Amino acid sequence: MTRTEPATTDAPRPATQPTTGGAGATPRPVALAVVLLLGLLLLPFVPLVLASFAQGYFYPQVLPERWSLRAWQVVLEPDGATWAALRDTVTIAVSVAVLSLVMAVPAGRVLGTRRFRGRRVVELALLTPVLVPAIAVAIGLHVVFLRLGLAGGVPGVILVHLVPATPYVVLLTAGVFANAELELEQQARALGASWWQAQRHVTVRLVAPGLAVAGLFGFLVSWGQYVLTLVVGGGRVVTLPILLFATASGGDTAITAATALFHALPAVVLLVLTSRILGSGALTTFGGAR
Amino acid sequence: MRTIPRSTLLLLVIAVVAAGCAQASSAPAAGPDPTDWEQVRSDAEGATLDLHMWGGSTEINRFVDEVYGPRLAELGITLRRVPLADTADAVNAVLAELEAGRTTDGAIDLIWINGENHATMRQAGALHTGWAEQLPNAALVDWEDPAVALDAGLPVDGAESPWGSAQFQFVHDTTRTDAAELPGSYAELATWIEEHPGRFTYPAPPAFHGTRFLTQWLYELSGGAEAWADGFDEDAYEEAAAELFAVLEELRPHLWRGGETYPNDIADLDRLFANGEVDMTFTQLPAGIGANVEAGTLPDSARPFVLDTGTIGDHHYLGIPVNAAEPAAAMVLADLVLDPELQTAKLDPANGWGDGLAIDVERLADEDRAAIDAVTAGFGDLALPPERLAEVRLPDAPPELTDALDRDWERVVRQQRPRS
Amino acid sequence: MSAWWHRHEDVRTWVALSPALLLVGLLFGGAVVMAGLRSIGLLGIGEGGPSLAAYRQLVTDPGFARSLGLTLYVAVVSTSLSVVLGIGAALLLRRLGAGRRFATTLFQLNLPVPHVIGAVAILALVGQSGLLSRLAAQTGLLDAPAAFPAITFDPWAIAVILQYLWKEVPFIGIVALAILSASGDDLEEAARTLGASTWQRLRHVTLPLLLPGVLSAAVIVFAFTFGIFEVPLLLGPSSPTVLPVLAHRRYTDVDLAARPEAMAISVVITLVVVVVVLLGAAGARRAIRGDAAVTEVGS
Repeated sequence: MTRTEPATTDAPRPATQPTTGGAGATPRPVALAVVLLLGLLLLPFVPLVLASFAQGYFYPQVLPERWSLRAWQVVLEPDGATWAALRDTVTIAVSVAVLSLVMAVPAGRVLGTRRFRGRRVVELALLTPVLVPAIAVAIGLHVVFLRLGLAGGVPGVILVHLVPATPYVVLLTAGVFANAELELEQQARALGASWWQAQRHVTVRLVAPGLAVAGLFGFLVSWGQYVLTLVVGGGRVVTLPILLFATASGGDTAITAATALFHALPAVVLLVLTSRILGSGALTTFGGAR
Repeated sequence: MRTIPRSTLLLLVIAVVAAGCAQASSAPAAGPDPTDWEQVRSDAEGATLDLHMWGGSTEINRFVDEVYGPRLAELGITLRRVPLADTADAVNAVLAELEAGRTTDGAIDLIWINGENHATMRQAGALHTGWAEQLPNAALVDWEDPAVALDAGLPVDGAESPWGSAQFQFVHDTTRTDAAELPGSYAELATWIEEHPGRFTYPAPPAFHGTRFLTQWLYELSGGAEAWADGFDEDAYEEAAAELFAVLEELRPHLWRGGETYPNDIADLDRLFANGEVDMTFTQLPAGIGANVEAGTLPDSARPFVLDTGTIGDHHYLGIPVNAAEPAAAMVLADLVLDPELQTAKLDPANGWGDGLAIDVERLADEDRAAIDAVTAGFGDLALPPERLAEVRLPDAPPELTDALDRDWERVVRQQRPRS
Repeated sequence: MSAWWHRHEDVRTWVALSPALLLVGLLFGGAVVMAGLRSIGLLGIGEGGPSLAAYRQLVTDPGFARSLGLTLYVAVVSTSLSVVLGIGAALLLRRLGAGRRFATTLFQLNLPVPHVIGAVAILALVGQSGLLSRLAAQTGLLDAPAAFPAITFDPWAIAVILQYLWKEVPFIGIVALAILSASGDDLEEAARTLGASTWQRLRHVTLPLLLPGVLSAAVIVFAFTFGIFEVPLLLGPSSPTVLPVLAHRRYTDVDLAARPEAMAISVVITLVVVVVVLLGAAGARRAIRGDAAVTEVGS
């Protein structure tokens, strides 16, 4: 399928490109409705961007009377709180992604490829922690973590982020294995490959993109966590959501806005990159990243 | 399929065993001895100091990081400032640690506290006591002054060391409210609110500024702050509170949003004020609103004012939890913040803060005093003259009073139920 | 040894599952059990033996009932609107010709954005002195912030619901799009050639096709909107407030006696979500028959 790129790549209006597309022409009302829909979804970012570049941005200014880079200078200051928070957030999110994948690969393979007694129970047992609100998990585990010396530190926060992340990564991984053509592994074995060779040259290649998405998902679950970090981290682990909340309680709207955008951007960039690499089908997974 | 129940059993066993161990461990260790300052200094070397403090002001955060951070680094201490959305979170964290039997090596070394939070921690025995007056720089503090020695009526007992001072002030916008129209008492404020429907509100207690706003009102209705000088009196409170909540109920429809909702904290109120949704906000800084105007969170035309019937002035402090991992380093910082040069820097809104002094000017060397005078001379009309603030300054109320006010406000104003 | 290992597939299955199950059992199960035990006065610092005092207090507290009502209202309204608007958006996007892929990418841009940011952004947009109110003032429509509808911190939690829609409409939409693109156009095409009208095709072909997957997604949306803490904290009414905020308020109350109540609230939250998940899973299974539909969401 060929696609015609819009003439101006910096401000493409896909919905209003009238003709010559792969799947045919778009009726004008549909195009308008899509533009409206996307506009509404993106609209909340507009006041954030304006506020982050403004000084004394008070009602009823729509565009700032005084533009300023002050907020961004503060937020991006080397050795500032934002970079420290970014470092902790990334450390935690990467650990969560890796650890949950380590647990998810064997479990996901079994769930995705075998039928066995108790499978439905396992699925439900895995689904529940994804869905039961974090606040309930947080206050239930807090005292235990305190007693075990895990509260107030990065390891404890990683552990508690694994509660919502791992089950979801397992369920995603199960889907990946279910859809992979693992018969190819059998064929490789039949053709004389050793178990290791078959894994390395066949299976890993089949499932790697899917596992990458699953891991990314684990990363994003951790990336946005607020309440688990707040309670178990006891304030001592300052991730970006914690920093954003503390900033928001201070009333400097410019700095709050800049911090919020700084926090949102990596997640959005990851999404766009992934959509480029893997195609949009894999992106359904982002649904639960909240 | 039996995996889950069995593993939770295992967890229970771990938890119970851990709880048993924790309870078996000893009482908290006695803190370092500040009279042997050399020892404290050497104990503090190499420490990472966890300072937990309200983190909502970027300017204050920067001041702490950039002024205290390097000075501590010279002493071999790494400062880790932990921003809180609410100081009560840190108080609660310490209490939770103690409840879980974690009596040493706690997460928090130093907390920025005063008032109710201090009272709560003292009741729970969660603060080291008897150290603050022994710090080397404590000699610059006037411990005879009740405003220092009593925190919300509760004797400090060396459990917290003063960091700075503050006084409640109202803020108005000269483009909206003429100085001549400003109220001089709560009685006049009530009239003003009725005449300007929807243009006034206050942060919901227990947010600091909200509780203080109501405490001052209660003072006025109960015959002044002197009425509470001897501590809390249940009957007197009942009488004054009945009147206060009746007035608030009368004013409710004239408040912002018809009194249906209230701003969460002073930052919310500042935002409402700056955007023209209400006509007044509050500040606590003796140096006024210079730093806010500089940062662009309040308009240039904002000005502070006080009521002739007075506003509460108090000190804020640094306290060390009994289970602090690095109590020696905590003492070094508590001492450092009293250094005259750093107290002067903190007073200057150009450095982002504008906080009042914790030390007594009378005890300073001439050049230090001159430096402070130079800073106060530069405040301009974004601050009130120090004499004006001193003239109307009232002491803070006993913690039982503010507790009762918070509780009653939650019940009567927020939940609209009768006061029990 | 090795032969035994290969013969017992059962054993291998459970060994493979055990790391993940152990983690969930220990941490999640532990959390639920701890909260449950502490809500009835066990294992806490509370004096005395087990008691149902915390639950009794909740039942008799009118504030709790109002909070529960508000939380359910917010979750039900947000979920229903998300489902309707999400399916609508998916059908709309599917009719796009050129630029469909680009539009779809934009459509899901909000999905990975953390909720705290969404809340801050919505406040800056629809607050009484937010961007919309400013635009209204600039165009002379309104003359003061107070004239703009008060939909933040309001009793109907409108800003909270808007924030959820902002996040969840794309979620439902993407799930629906995935199902539609996986199933292809054949069925609809067949219905069309058999003379079915647009509405008939939607009613009898497309919606039944979407039902199991979207139902599972709706369960997820319900669970999240029922349990989120930070959004109602930043945008919602303060009294009554939603259950997660109430639980946190009780848990961080300096009065330690309020803790069992916090635990009891968290048990109630867990129970409500578990019941809805079970109902949803049963519904989805009935809708699809056969495969475990719950695992298909997102995969």
